[in-house]
Parts: sequence; structure tokens; C-alpha cells
Amino acid sequence: MTRAAPAAALLLVLLVAALSGAAVAARPGGTLRMVFVSDPPTLDPAHATDLTSSSIIHQVFDALLELDEKLVPAPALAERWSVSPDHRVYTFHLRRGAKFHNGREVRAADVKYSFERAARGKRPWVFDKLVGAREFIKGGASEIAGVRVVDDGTVELRLERPFAPFLHLMAYDAASIVPREETDKRGAGFASHPVGTGAFRFVSWRRDDQVVLERFAEHFRGPAHLERVVFRVIPAEGTRFNEYVAGQLDVGDIPMGRCRAVQADAKLKGDVAIWPTLGTSALRFNVERAPFTDARVRRAIAHAIDPSIIVDRLLEGCVKAAQGIVPPVLAGWTATAKRRPLDRERARGLLAEAGFPGGRGLGPIAYHFNTSDANQRIAEALQAQLKEIGVTLELRRLDWAAHIKVVDDGSAGFFRQGWIADYPDPENFLTVLFHSRNVGAAGNTSRYRNPAVDRLLDEADTMAIGAARMKRYEEAEQMILDDAVWVSLYFYASRALIKPHVKGLERSPQSTAPEFLAPLRKVWLER
Amino acid sequence: MALLRPIASRVVALVPVVLGITVLVFALNAIALGDPARAAMGQRADPETLERLRREYALDRPLPVQYATWLGRLARGDLGESFREQRPVGEVIRERLPATARLALAATLISVVLGVGIGALAAVRAGSALDHLLMGVAVLGISTPVFWLGMMLALVFAVTLGWLPVSGYGDGALRHLVLPAVTLGALHTGTVARMTRSSLLEVVRQDFMATARAKGLSEWTVLGKHALRNALVPVVTVIGIGLADLLVGAPLTETVFAWPGVGRLLVAAVGQRDLPVVMGAVLVFALVYVLGNLLVDLAYLVIDPRMRDAARA
Repeated sequence: MTRAAPAAALLLVLLVAALSGAAVAARPGGTLRMVFVSDPPTLDPAHATDLTSSSIIHQVFDALLELDEKLVPAPALAERWSVSPDHRVYTFHLRRGAKFHNGREVRAADVKYSFERAARGKRPWVFDKLVGAREFIKGGASEIAGVRVVDDGTVELRLERPFAPFLHLMAYDAASIVPREETDKRGAGFASHPVGTGAFRFVSWRRDDQVVLERFAEHFRGPAHLERVVFRVIPAEGTRFNEYVAGQLDVGDIPMGRCRAVQADAKLKGDVAIWPTLGTSALRFNVERAPFTDARVRRAIAHAIDPSIIVDRLLEGCVKAAQGIVPPVLAGWTATAKRRPLDRERARGLLAEAGFPGGRGLGPIAYHFNTSDANQRIAEALQAQLKEIGVTLELRRLDWAAHIKVVDDGSAGFFRQGWIADYPDPENFLTVLFHSRNVGAAGNTSRYRNPAVDRLLDEADTMAIGAARMKRYEEAEQMILDDAVWVSLYFYASRALIKPHVKGLERSPQSTAPEFLAPLRKVWLER
Repeated sequence: MALLRPIASRVVALVPVVLGITVLVFALNAIALGDPARAAMGQRADPETLERLRREYALDRPLPVQYATWLGRLARGDLGESFREQRPVGEVIRERLPATARLALAATLISVVLGVGIGALAAVRAGSALDHLLMGVAVLGISTPVFWLGMMLALVFAVTLGWLPVSGYGDGALRHLVLPAVTLGALHTGTVARMTRSSLLEVVRQDFMATARAKGLSEWTVLGKHALRNALVPVVTVIGIGLADLLVGAPLTETVFAWPGVGRLLVAAVGQRDLPVVMGAVLVFALVYVLGNLLVDLAYLVIDPRMRDAARA
């Protein structure tokens, strides 16, 4: 070999490196500054029920699996898994050397402990598919029989019956793995001083002000690029926007009513990021409450509502009008179902058929919604639209706690209640929201009971993932829309401002805003 | 020592007032729609977990029993546990109290210094263009909504000029306090200024002022030493009453400036129906208010020797 050969080889390596991504190579260091609207109530995965808490939990903890950018379950603390032929037994093999922030290695016993601890927390439904889970949750058993520690590196989970989205549940933050010695030591204080295995370690939390995380150097995937992440808590929308404009936040939200303005603003338009997410804004009827016991009245109202006005004029075209219940962004979903089209003549005819010609005899209908500027404007638009078929809407604006109370207990007949997916599967929309076993606070606030729909959903829930399963859900979705128990308005979108120097921030449909659920270990700052 | 009796009698009189406030807040919360257990559960809640939470929060007991339990705990210095944060309410409030105290004190200081200064200047130049201008500014201060003023100040001094932070507590540095304190202080500065002006104008017409001038004292000594002291009694009353304004304004100011105080805590707790925190925060506000008024009463005794004599008698 000549003396020039190693130099040429080195040059070639450098050239290849440069061409293959040196220009976009992640740079370590820096602090990412994000913002929440409210303080997280807890940082304990067993007790969180809100997105704000979950977004911190996602960075501090790992679960057995995680969802990749396309929302497909991927290895996390479990490096691989197998599923029995009857789809009832899942065996997870843990990654060797994964450590908690206190330095201890993760073992299979931690999985069992974490699941049993969380099953008696606020989201027991994540675990209730496991054999013996319901007895355990009710206090009738000392353990969940369906969670078996095979050895230090293997855990076996047995289901009562096949449940296709089970792997999604194993990526859910309620199923995060926690170290027993820390929860025992801290008790309720674990919610304020979380210790997990995540790419970021908890540093501090000044309530109503900020949460600070720093990278965990021993994370099983290697240290994150960012050195620190600061989540500020800023309740006022205008203040969040001012902080972003002043350069004090790297990621912010677009204030209500300014979606078009920021896209036209020379300084901000390059920062605008809007992407569809797994949520649907909708109106629901309580089918047990007159006059909505009559499908013709529900259908008349559905035919009289024009979501395009709400989308274009009130929401400035920054979201998409919805036809179905399940957002089309869900992988594998063909979105064939259609809501009742705008047809006011048909609406008037249906009202007359139901005994309310021109809306006479119907009386004012109370429409319940929770307090927000957007909801108020939408309510007023609905009021104007329904007036055209002779239906008078009385607007009932309540704060969230009061709204959810009247919705859950069935005293609201017509109300706003959308849905944001807990995990990306049609089961999480259709079964949770329309199966008769979930009537009430469990999700089916329409109190809809349709044996044909129940049968389709039951079949689909236990089938293997594939086209046949999706077809059943699509059939059920169309039946629900035909019965007009739910009127889709628009699909949610994440509307964010992201500084150009923030790189690698995933825009996944699961993330209803960038501060929620995006894996920050992939983020780096170019400056 | 002679002052201890009137102070003690006032403190004793506070007890029924504070208890009355707690009964009222408890009753209002009971009437309000909403279930704390459901509010804590997010978008879906299975009935069994809801029942378990209601038991944990003791919401399954009759209302009088719930109130009596709360009162019993209060007697032992225990404010109960937050439904939302699952921590002792005392701890939850203690974390936020210093921020609110700093804000309220700074706002009071601003309103007193600026209010008395503006009022005195206007009184000295009574009837002049400056007087009209200052009183115009005072009225503007009283009538400007806290929310709007805060946003405007932030836009000018933080976003445009970049002199001060937009919001947040930061590291506790004074620069973070300036905008929220000015915003909250402005609410009351106008009232103090107007009261100082009218009170001073009344005092300067009295005979002892002519005597002071006849003795050859300078105008500033006459005003600063003789007139202002006599004019302060009604001003101190206004400052005391102003505490209520500050307490009302604190949640708004804290929201606009993302200030981590008790006001924001109270607003969030009401939204979540976190009754123990609502009761605790209201109790703190009520105590601050009644103690503030007690301090005003004491200030009378310091300022006005006639009242001191009356108290001794």
C-alpha cells in the first residue's frame, strides 16, 4: 500500500460522512424551553390522567414499548417480545443493562410491581385486560395473576381474551416502569420526585412555574442530545405568545384566532407547524333524553350543521372538517364513513316527521359546552345554523368540572364532547365511546345501545390486526353516524410555533401539541 | 401594654368572621356543579375507580360531617390533603405564599409611594393643569383592567424593549417582580392618590396649618410634617381596604405574568373542585384581609394620638 492510500481512505470516509448527514448531525448540549398551559397535577404514572403530566412522564420514564413516529409499537425497556398463536400470551424480554436514575438495573419484578401499583391508580383500564386484573383492582386478589415473572429478564403477560391493541397499551405512560424502593421511600412524594429510566432525569419542579429535567447519561439508548429541558407553566395564551416572540421559548402554541395572522407574519411564518392529530371535535346527543330519543330529531340537527363554516371562519382553516369519528391520520384507516351531509330541506322534513314541523313544539334545546373562546364561538355558530330549521338553542356554558358532571350523569341532552385517542387504534374511539358496556363516564356519554354495533365492536376488538378487523370498525362507525348519536365537526390538529434551531422534534399524530409525548431524546439545538 | 386589650378584642372578633367565611365557601362549593373525583379522572373514568376516589376523598359522607371533619383538622393545624396534588394543603399553599406575599407587598409599596406622592403633588398644585393631569392618570389607573394593563406593559417593556422578563418567577430576581407589581399596584395607586389629595386639601384649610405657617416653617415642612400626618388617617383606611383589591387582583396578575402564587392556585383549585385547597386558600386570603384591617386599626393608634388616648381610656 502506498503512503497516499490511508490519507485517501480517510478523505473518503470524511466525504461519505459529510454527504450522509454531517450537515444535519445532532449537536449535544443546550436547554430546550417548552411551555404548558397548566401545572401538571402529578408526575407519578399511576396517578396521571392528563396530557401535561403524561408529557413529563414520557421523558422521565420508559415503558416496555414505545410508539415510533408512525405509531407502531417499538422496543423500549423490552428489546423483543413474542405473542402466542392464540394472541393471549405476550412474553417480553427486557433489555439488559437498562438502569433507573438511581443506578439500579431494571428487572422483570419491576414490571410486575409497576403494573400492579398502577392498576390501583387512576387508569386501571390499561391493565384490566390481564388475567385476574379485575379481581386485583377491586381488592379481591393480592396480585394480578396474569403478570408472571419468568426470570429477571423475562415477563409474561396473559390476557383474558385477545385484545388487538394490547401492544399499544404497553407503550402507554400508565404502564411506565417504576423502581419499588423509590416509591416505598417517597410514598406520595414520588409524584413530586419521580425516578424512572427515561432519557431525562427529574431535577426540580417549582409548582405553577417550571419543571426542569436533565439528560440521563446512562440511558440505555445513550445520552440525549439536549442537556436540559425546561417546561414553563404559563396559563395566559397572550403571555405564552409574548414569551415566544421575545425569544424566551423555543416552542409555543398559536393563539386562538391568530392562525392565519402568524402564517402571514414574515417573522413567524417559518416557525408555524400544523399537523393532524388523533382527535375529533364533536357534538353528542344523550339518546335517553327527549327529544333525542327520536333518531329523526338527531338526524335533523346533524343535517342542519355545516362544519365547514366553523372550520373556515372560526378556526381559520387550520383544522380539517370531519366526516367520520376516527381521524383519517390513523395508520391503516381508510376513513370510509360519512356524517350526514348539510341538507336543511331534509332536516326540516325529518323534524316534521318527528312531529315538530318548523321546530314547533320542540321548545328551546339546551346545548352544553365547556368554557373556552373557541367553544363559545362554535356554540354561537351552531345556534345560528339551527335557527334556520326552526330549532332554538339555549347556550349553557360551564367550566370543565361542571360540564363533565352534567354530561356523565345524563342531565345534558345535547353537548360538546370530543375525543383524543389514548392510543392509536379505532377501538379507543369506537368501543370506548359507543359500546353499551361503557355507558356513562367510561366513555359512552351518548348512552347509545345498539346490539349490532356492540357485536361488530366485540368481534373487531379481539381480532388480529388487519383489514378484516378494520372493516368491522368501519361498518360500526357508519352505523353510529347513521344513527346520528355523534356529529363530527373537525379533526384536531397540533398548531405550534417552533423556532428554526429546534431540530428532531417529532410531529407525530399522537402528540396533540409538541410539548406532549414527542420523545425529546431525539431533539437537538442548532446554534 | 395598654394597646394589647384592643388588639386582643379585635383578634377574638376575627374568629367568627373567618369561620363564617369558611362555612360560606364550603356551602358554595357544595352547591356548585361538579365532582372532584370525576374532575381528577381525565376524559374517561370507570365507575369503580370513581367510587374508590370518592371514598378516598371522603365525598361519600354527608356535607355537615365533611365540614365538621375539616374544622376538626383545622383546629389541629391540618388543612387536609389536596385532591389534585395528593399532598397536604398546608404544603401546597406554603410553596406559593412567598410569591404572593412578595407581589402584594411590592404592589402595596408602589401604590402607597406613588399614590401618596401623586396625591400630595396634586394637592399642592390644586386646580392647576398638573393637578388635572395627575387625577386623570389616577382615574385611568383605577379603571384599567388588570389583565389588559399587564399585557400592555409586557408588550412594551418585555417584548418590544426587552428590558424586563415577559413573565415567570425566574430565579426570584427583582426584575421579574417589576411588571406584575406595577400592574397590581396600579389598581390601587389611583385610589390612594385621590384620597391623599382630597384629605390633604381638607387639612390645609384647618387653623393649625395657618399657625404652622405663621411660625415661619417652610411650605414643605408644613405639608410634610403637619398636613400629611393629619391627612394620613383616611389614606391608611383606603390602603387597608385596598388589600381586598390586591387579593382580588392577585389571581389575574398572577395569571397574566405566570406568577406562581396563591391566587392562581385558588383559580385552578376552583376549576378542579379541589375543595381542601379552595378552603385553605380562602382561609389564607380571609386571614390576610382581616389581619390587614387589624394593622390599619393599629396604624391609626400610631398616627393619631387622639385615638391612642381613646384606646387607653
